[in-house]
Amino acid sequence: MAQERTDEELLAAYQQGDPAAFEALLRRHRAPLFTFLLRMLGDRERAEDLAQETFLRIVKGAQAWEHRARFQTWLFTIARNLCVDQARRDRFRRAESLDAEGPDGEPAMVESVPGDAIDPSRGAESARLRPLLQRALLSLPAEQREVFVLREQAGVPFREIAEMVGVNENTVKSRMRYALEGLRKVLSAAGVSQETAAAEPGPGVRLGRA
Amino acid sequence: MTHTESQDLLLDLAYGELDAARAAEVSAHVDGCEECRREKAALDEVRKAAAPLRELEEPPPGFDHRILQAAAAQVRLEHENVGQVIEVTGSVKPLGVDATRIDAHAPVRAPPPRRRPRWMLRVAVAGSVATAAALALVVSTTRPRPAAPLVEEDYRIKVQPAAPQAVDLALREAEANKEAQRMVRQKDLTSPAPPPEPPVAALPPAPKQQAVKLRAHVEGGGGDAADSYIVKKKAAPLPAEEKSVDPSHRALENREATPQDAVRRLAGGQRYTPFAAASDQLAPMRQAAASSAAPANDAAAPARLEESAQRARHAGNYPLAAGFYREAAALRRGEDKDPASAAWDLAHAVECLAAAGLFDEARQVREELSRLYPGQDTAQAAARRALREVDVVPAPSAKPADH
Repeated sequence: MAQERTDEELLAAYQQGDPAAFEALLRRHRAPLFTFLLRMLGDRERAEDLAQETFLRIVKGAQAWEHRARFQTWLFTIARNLCVDQARRDRFRRAESLDAEGPDGEPAMVESVPGDAIDPSRGAESARLRPLLQRALLSLPAEQREVFVLREQAGVPFREIAEMVGVNENTVKSRMRYALEGLRKVLSAAGVSQETAAAEPGPGVRLGRA
Repeated sequence: MTHTESQDLLLDLAYGELDAARAAEVSAHVDGCEECRREKAALDEVRKAAAPLRELEEPPPGFDHRILQAAAAQVRLEHENVGQVIEVTGSVKPLGVDATRIDAHAPVRAPPPRRRPRWMLRVAVAGSVATAAALALVVSTTRPRPAAPLVEEDYRIKVQPAAPQAVDLALREAEANKEAQRMVRQKDLTSPAPPPEPPVAALPPAPKQQAVKLRAHVEGGGGDAADSYIVKKKAAPLPAEEKSVDPSHRALENREATPQDAVRRLAGGQRYTPFAAASDQLAPMRQAAASSAAPANDAAAPARLEESAQRARHAGNYPLAAGFYREAAALRRGEDKDPASAAWDLAHAVECLAAAGLFDEARQVREELSRLYPGQDTAQAAARRALREVDVVPAPSAKPADH
C-alpha cells in the first residue's frame, strides 16, 4: 500500500517514474500544507495559490532532490519562503495605503480573515473561536507566527524550524515564547481563556518573564 | 536540573521534544518550582485555547488537478526518450560548433504523432548553434551532415526541450495569472490616494536574476503585471537589509547625554531607521512619539515611547522597538521616579535586541541594566533569560535564579 510507504520512499518512487507515488504524497500533505498557509496568510484564495505553487515546485525539483532532509521539511521550507515573498509584496501595498488609513490603521489583512466555512463536523465552539484565533495569530509578527504555526499545527520540531528559517534553535524558541505570550495577551483581552484563567491563582503569568 | 536549565527546556517539554529521561528530570523540577510551574501552566493554557488552530482544513475541490497534471507531464518528459520536439533555427558561423558533431550518429527521429500541448513553443534562437546546444539537447539535424566545410548558413535543428520547461512555463503562467488577478483586486481596493514615492534611490541595482524573472512576467502575462512587478521590486526591502544594523544606532549609547538629547534625536527621525521600508511604515509612529515627547518634562512621554516600542515590537521591527525602549528608559532615568519601569524598559530592549539577533548590543544594554538597577531582580532575570541562549559565559551579574 502506498499509504504505508514513507514520504521519502514515495518521492523516490516518483523519481523512478511512478506518478501514483506523487499522488499519494499530495494526498498526504495537501491539507496540512494548505492549513499552514491559511494560518500564515489568513486568506483562503492566497493559501490555495501558494499551496499549488509549492507542490508545483516540488514537482519541478523532485528529480534533483536528495534525501538529506525530510520531505516534509522541504515542503514547508518552500511554502514558508513563498509566504516571505508574499509578505514582502504586501508590505509595499500596505505602505502605499498607509496615508489613507492613518498611523493606527490596521493592515488590511484583518479584513481577509475567513469568517465563513464553518464545518459542522467540528465542534461548534471550535468553529466559533477559530476566526478570533486566526485574527490573534495574524496580529503576531510574521517570524513569530511562522514558528508558532510550524510547531503547533504542522508539528515541525524546533530544530527543523531553525533549519528552515535559517536561525539557531534558541532564536526559534524565543520567537515561540513571544508568540505564545502575544497570543495569550490577545486572547485574554478577548476573554477567550477566562474560564481556564480563573483557575489560576494570582495575576496572569507572563510567559518569558519572571 | 537547575532552574535555568528547566526554564530553557519548558517548551521542549510541552511539545514532547525531550527523551523520557530528560522529560522526567524537567517535570520533577517543574513540580517543585513555583515559577516554572506557573510558566508551564500559562504555556499549556495558551496552547489549549489555541487548539482550534491545529485542526486541518481541506483545500478546495479541484486543487489537485493542475498539480497532478504537472507531475505526470514531468514524468513523461524525464522517462520517455522521444518527446515533443521544438524546432530551433540557428545560424552556424564558420568558426562555430558543427551542430552535427554534438551528436553525429543520433538517429533522425520523426516527431511522434501526438498532439502538441499548449506549452510547445517555436523558438527562434538568433545566435550560434552553440548557444542552442547549451540551452537544450540537440537530438539531430533535419538534414544529412554536410560533407563540405561549413559556411554560414541557416540550419534547422530539432531540439528536445530541457525537462523542467513544462513546469517552468506552468509556474510562469500561474504567477502571471495571479499577478493579473491581484492587479484587478488591487484596482478595486485602492483609493485614489497617490502612492508615496518608493525609496528607489536607497536600493542597490537589481541583480540579474530579477531581470530574468521580469522577463518571464512580460512573456507570461500582460504589461500591467510586469509593470507592477517592477514597482514592487523597487520598493520591497531586500532581506539582507533587514538584518543589517544602522551603524549610527550602535553609536546612540555614547551620545546619550540628557533626555533632551534623546528627544532631539528622536525628532530627527532618520537615525532610527535600520531599514528603509520600516522608516516608511513607522514614520507616523515615530513622529507621534517625537511630538508627544517634545516637552521633555512631560511625564507621559516615557509611556508613549513604550507604546511606540510595543507597536514596533508587534510589527516585528525589533531594532526599532529596542531603540524606543531605550529612549523611554533614558527619560525615566532622568526623572528617577520609577526605577522598576526603567529597568523593565531596558530588559525589554535586551529582549528585542536578542530577538533581532543583535547579541552584542543586547549584552551592552543588559550590562547597563545591571549597572544602573542592581536591585531590579525580575527585570534582570528577564534580560538574562533573553540572552541565556547565546551566553557562553554567564553574565557577571548573573546570580543563581531567584527561587
